[in-house]
Amino acid sequence: MKLHVEDIFAVLVVLSFSAFLVGYLDLFSSFFAIFLVISTFLKGQLISDYFMDLKEVDYRYRLIPTIWLVVVLSLIGVAYMLPISE
Amino acid sequence: MSEILVDKKTYPHGDFAIWIIVYVELLTFGLLFVGYAYSRRVNLQMFNDSQLLLNQTIGFINTLILITSSYLIVRGVETIKTMQLHHRHEASMHASKWLLGAMMLGSTFLVLKLSEFSHLFAQGITLSTNTFFMFYLLLTMFHFMHVTLGVVILYNLYRKTKSHGYTPADCRGLETGAIYWHLVDLLWIVLFPLIYIMR
Repeated sequence: MKLHVEDIFAVLVVLSFSAFLVGYLDLFSSFFAIFLVISTFLKGQLISDYFMDLKEVDYRYRLIPTIWLVVVLSLIGVAYMLPISE
Repeated sequence: MSEILVDKKTYPHGDFAIWIIVYVELLTFGLLFVGYAYSRRVNLQMFNDSQLLLNQTIGFINTLILITSSYLIVRGVETIKTMQLHHRHEASMHASKWLLGAMMLGSTFLVLKLSEFSHLFAQGITLSTNTFFMFYLLLTMFHFMHVTLGVVILYNLYRKTKSHGYTPADCRGLETGAIYWHLVDLLWIVLFPLIYIMR
């Protein structure tokens, strides 16, 4: 499997721009909260896999940033999605 | 176009110590990110009102800057690792230009962040203004210090690369510095939507 680092860069830029648009156009809602969490996970995974080159190494090293992203972003997602009792 | 060949190896690139640093930093920032998200639930209106004082456009430009600088470093490391020894001079000069570009972008990030800080300080905002700005300043200043160290590291990598100090067989120092910079990028990738966008 061959991937171009330019493709990874382009995906990172597009996802970051879409996140910016959500804030700039004030579109924030539960749907966009999920979108931002998932797109942030994808960006983090791309950086870890392709920029840090962890895709090439033993899965145990790769798993640590992946678990970090999943745990941190899930907790953030829950904090934003759970209803707040007044 | 450069290509990334997927070929499984046992250990990650760079010095082992950098991976300890990476994992410790991820844990530290992770706790702060989650702390921010749950503190926000206690005073939602104050967090949302305070967030409006931030400049999302500068946050986005800084995101682009860090992503681009990470990309330039990948190209620089790749140039060193794929060079042929009889073209060492040309390849080293080429790689040093990628690193110089990354360093310049890192410096631009610092300048933009300083302007953002000075704008907020001019409005009388400090760590004790409210919980939102306590988290904002704590997270972004902590990250700012990491970027500053990263720029110093990049400067040293640039100088050594320019003086033909790395070869494909001996570039662990370069790889280690690159991993540190990607960590700084990874942290900002989470920080930007959390602090600037999500409300």
